[in-house]
Amino acid sequence: MEDMDFKVAVLNCNGIGRLSSTIVRQAGYRLRELRPNQIVLLGAGALAVGEEEHTELLKKYPLLVIDGCRPHCASALANELGKKPAAVIYAPDVAAEVKISLSGEKRRGLGKRGLELAEAIAQKAAAEVDRIVADEMLSTL
Amino acid sequence: MASKVTLQPCLNQDKLSVLGRQACYVVHEDHRPDQTNLGCGPALNAKVQEDVDFIELYPVIALESCSKDCATKLIAKMGSKAAVTLRIPELMAELGIVEADIPEGHIDCEDEKVQKLANRILAEVDKFLAE
Repeated sequence: MEDMDFKVAVLNCNGIGRLSSTIVRQAGYRLRELRPNQIVLLGAGALAVGEEEHTELLKKYPLLVIDGCRPHCASALANELGKKPAAVIYAPDVAAEVKISLSGEKRRGLGKRGLELAEAIAQKAAAEVDRIVADEMLSTL
Repeated sequence: MASKVTLQPCLNQDKLSVLGRQACYVVHEDHRPDQTNLGCGPALNAKVQEDVDFIELYPVIALESCSKDCATKLIAKMGSKAAVTLRIPELMAELGIVEADIPEGHIDCEDEKVQKLANRILAEVDKFLAE
């Protein structure tokens, strides 16, 4: 029997322009620490140009999208590539929920508050990863 | 002579890409805030008008973390052409930066390795501004 490989592909905002880009990117790294054997982090730039490795990972695993700001670039990319996300997290929604002030935070390097929001996003994403993996397992085995 | 130059880093999540993005912040924020644009790949792909303008109106320096050249290809996908493609591994060899010395996830803009790379990119930017 083929080994079942239950993982989640994570497409988090890989942007550069906004503070939220850095926060969501750091959330992705933190998620990888929380769920090291259960996620793969995808590169938006690589996917956008059809890079083989990232494209195969996108096809293979259910997708969790983490959008950083209003243009929802990661969701737009998933839609362009015809992959429906199993879940979408929108960073501003998490910010509203946890009410962390980001005053003084900088996109080039996060301080305490930026890292707190990144942690909150990562924890929410970890819960979604658990749900998605459970769904895959119980719908497959 | 270009009035502005767009920096378009590949923005992957490996440590060389992070080194590149941090160097772009240094070039743009610390040295040439009015003469450079920071091109955001995901926004460009989503056709955010500002990012489309960046590659249509100004010469673009693509900054790649590897030979896959994703930023250069993205610019072409969106109908423009990178004026210059810089590859971080080649620049690191030129500058004596060792990959093993670069941390994962984040490197401060003040780090010597970021500053060296930023100065190298700045030299390319200034060529366009001076032409």
